[in-house]
Amino acid sequence: MARNRQPTGLRRSNDPPVLILTSLAAGPKHGHALAKDIEDFAGVALGPGALYGAITRLEERGLIAPLETDDRRRPYRITAAGSAALAEVVDDMRRIADIGASRLGLIPGALA
Amino acid sequence: MSPRRSKGFGLLRWYPPRWQERYGDEFDALMEDTLGERPPTPRLRLAVALAGLRERGRESGIVGDSTPPADRARVGSLLVLCAWAAFVVAGSSFAKLSEGFGLTGPTRTASLSSGAYRTVTVVAIVACLVVMFGMAIAVPSFLRFLRAGGWPQIRRHVVRALIASVIGISALTALVGLAHTLSPAQRAGELVSHPAVWYYQVAFIATTLLLAVALGLWTVAAVATVRRLDLTGRVLSTEAVLAAAATVAMVVMTAATAVWWGSIASSTPWFVQGTPAGSAGSPVNVQLVGTMVLMLVASILAGYGVSRGAQSGLTFRSGRRA
Repeated sequence: MARNRQPTGLRRSNDPPVLILTSLAAGPKHGHALAKDIEDFAGVALGPGALYGAITRLEERGLIAPLETDDRRRPYRITAAGSAALAEVVDDMRRIADIGASRLGLIPGALA
Repeated sequence: MSPRRSKGFGLLRWYPPRWQERYGDEFDALMEDTLGERPPTPRLRLAVALAGLRERGRESGIVGDSTPPADRARVGSLLVLCAWAAFVVAGSSFAKLSEGFGLTGPTRTASLSSGAYRTVTVVAIVACLVVMFGMAIAVPSFLRFLRAGGWPQIRRHVVRALIASVIGISALTALVGLAHTLSPAQRAGELVSHPAVWYYQVAFIATTLLLAVALGLWTVAAVATVRRLDLTGRVLSTEAVLAAAATVAMVVMTAATAVWWGSIASSTPWFVQGTPAGSAGSPVNVQLVGTMVLMLVASILAGYGVSRGAQSGLTFRSGRRA
């Protein structure tokens, strides 16, 4: 589906970049805090390799930015471009979820 | 080991140096937070190793879209060159296996196997010319690179390849001398209980490995050099076309080798085994299986290289620096 092929490379709800952006939408976090938060809200355990692979891609695309820190645990924040990209993905997912819910009869009176 | 890298467990080495420089400390901190005092599990080690290799692939332009399109096109052609080096090894193995075919082979009259054999031979010559032409058009850039003082950047690779070549050629010379003391049957591996035959077999395998290593090191030197060359858009696009042609040649040769094998196996399996004519024998030969597998792997790698070049989506213009 064309709408799923976004220039940001975000596709699925369980895509590590989508999960990271969703987590950072609540505020800056470092690697371990990100992994814990994602496990809490999505039930997805991202390993260090997958987490930092996604962080690298997101930073390259300007969707997240590192914050200054004296510690080795560098926090990241979502950028305006990241928020826009996440909003687009969330909208896409909500549209699909709405269609699925209506087709399953989970939304009374709605027709898809 | 620095105490700041206490939980890295050496896993960072899988990542490219630039990545380690940028993310190494925070990655170590994450490992520390995740593992505590526990050592990483084999599964975690494997996952990190794969992620690191993927990062290396991205940085070098082999996978992903992090590098500029021109670099991806260049990497695509270099992948085809590496595939070609592997194919040369497979082709040499095929040449040795099919030694005598068409001269004294029992299937001289079998048109299918003869046609397949001729196809391999002719396409191999054409492919060699294509690869040589590809190297020739990069020569002006290479000379500019040397004049600009680039030699120290590639010296280590070239010297290593030269040393390996000298050793390989010396071994080959000694092998040829030894071969002249044996009969054709002994050279073909018969009468293996004879000490000279046994020495010849060992020397043959060792020499083959040495020459394969030398070829591999030359390929590494070529890759290291080409990555540093300032190639114009026209040269890059021509290289991409030549890479595609070489890939087609590899696929054709692989298919022709499979046809040759199938034809020989159905009519005269003893030729595949190298046993006396008319004797019973399995059409499966371990060396031929290995040769076919290497040809297939090389063809697939070359196909990926061509697709990588095509994915770069560049429309090269004459004279433009890439």
